[in-house]
Amino acid sequence: MSRTVKRADYFHLFAVAGILFLASSLNSYAADAAVQVQLDVNKAGPRAVESLTERGILRDYRFAWSSMAQALQFNTLDSLEGPFSGQARQWLRQTVTSQQQSGLSRRYSDQSHHLEAVFYAPEGDVVELHDTAQYHLQILDGDKTILDENVVVHYVVLMTPGADRWTIRQLQAVPQF
Amino acid sequence: MTRLLRICAATYLAAACVGVCAAQDLHIPESPAAGQEISISTSGSGKATFYLTGPAVSRKNDVPLGEDIHLAAQDLRNAGHYVAILCSDTCKSASFYVSAAKPLSLTFLVHPSRVPVALHDAISGVAFPFDQYHNLVLAPVNVNFQLNAKEASLFSRAVRTKNGVAWFRTPSGKSAGPLQVTAALDDVTARRAVQQVASDPCNLRITGQRTKTGILVQTEPVHDCAGNVLPDGTIVTFTATGPHGKGTVDAPIKQGVARAQMDSTGVAVISAASGVVMGNEIRVEARP
Repeated sequence: MSRTVKRADYFHLFAVAGILFLASSLNSYAADAAVQVQLDVNKAGPRAVESLTERGILRDYRFAWSSMAQALQFNTLDSLEGPFSGQARQWLRQTVTSQQQSGLSRRYSDQSHHLEAVFYAPEGDVVELHDTAQYHLQILDGDKTILDENVVVHYVVLMTPGADRWTIRQLQAVPQF
Repeated sequence: MTRLLRICAATYLAAACVGVCAAQDLHIPESPAAGQEISISTSGSGKATFYLTGPAVSRKNDVPLGEDIHLAAQDLRNAGHYVAILCSDTCKSASFYVSAAKPLSLTFLVHPSRVPVALHDAISGVAFPFDQYHNLVLAPVNVNFQLNAKEASLFSRAVRTKNGVAWFRTPSGKSAGPLQVTAALDDVTARRAVQQVASDPCNLRITGQRTKTGILVQTEPVHDCAGNVLPDGTIVTFTATGPHGKGTVDAPIKQGVARAQMDSTGVAVISAASGVVMGNEIRVEARP
């Protein structure tokens, strides 16, 4: 009887763990899937962008934007640690802190990014991208929406390779390229 | 009569509300630079809530309509996209961009830190100008790159930044020694050092003589083809082939010469190699 109970307990434990794992996977996939990213590397130089590098940049840029959206929506810092470094991480942290103080939050949805690599350093230690980003931006004061609009913003981006990923070091919006 | 009064009052309130809502507006100066103080003029009357969101800023405060809203230098330190929102009964917004201020520092990446001499396109450098708030300066500026070895200038070129970056690539010099690489932009200078080392050995030659305990082999001073002495620690591999088989000894170069003691009593043919370069062969006769 005791053995039967234990088996049942284990079964429930595994089932719950499985559901939680599946839910978290689906959640992170959903967050990532909401960010559409296209990358054009044809104009990159002086170094050519290899296809593996291209895939890595795409994957990490998409992840960075979903992490940033999460951080600025829920005013949490954790998700900024991996995908951002240097100045970009610093100003994002300051943004979150500032939002926590003022009670504001931003919601980025329906994101679509058209990336163009415009410079890839001779030794491959930095890539500059131009991102024409389109998204739905909502700014909220508590629960009250104070801005709700579709925007197109141009970003100049510097990414550097780390041990296992590309990180955004600079993310600077400009009126045009 | 009462009904008429009610209608009049409602019409008056609606008109007043429309008046306030329509009058509330924002006027933002065009393209301020990072760290610049600006004033946003508002129209209308009464009170409103002003919001400013942008990179590293998220500000909210009450403002009287019809007066200027002062934004301090600290509010606009980061270049990028800002949204100013003014909310009374309804919200009105205006977005604007802050551009980088004048360059005050250079991020300068140079590769490699150690390079063999006379190698094609061996040294490269990339420079990014930043302003005092660490914004990337995208307006084109001239960056002067210089490479100096001792007193001699090996390379000097002014490169105009494009998309906020300037770069160069050049062959390494002919002499081993430290190389100073400089990127300069007006008063801003960034310096890096590259150590040029001898290239592969040229004419690796060895001599050998029998001793009481075996064979002492050594190289002549090892140079590359430009005459630079190979650095201490470079490995030379001596291989002795005799009637009893083959023996190998690795010896580091010390003050230009590599030496090794090899065990062999019979006739031995000894050769040497360093990296991909083979030296001469010598034959040492058997011990009498």
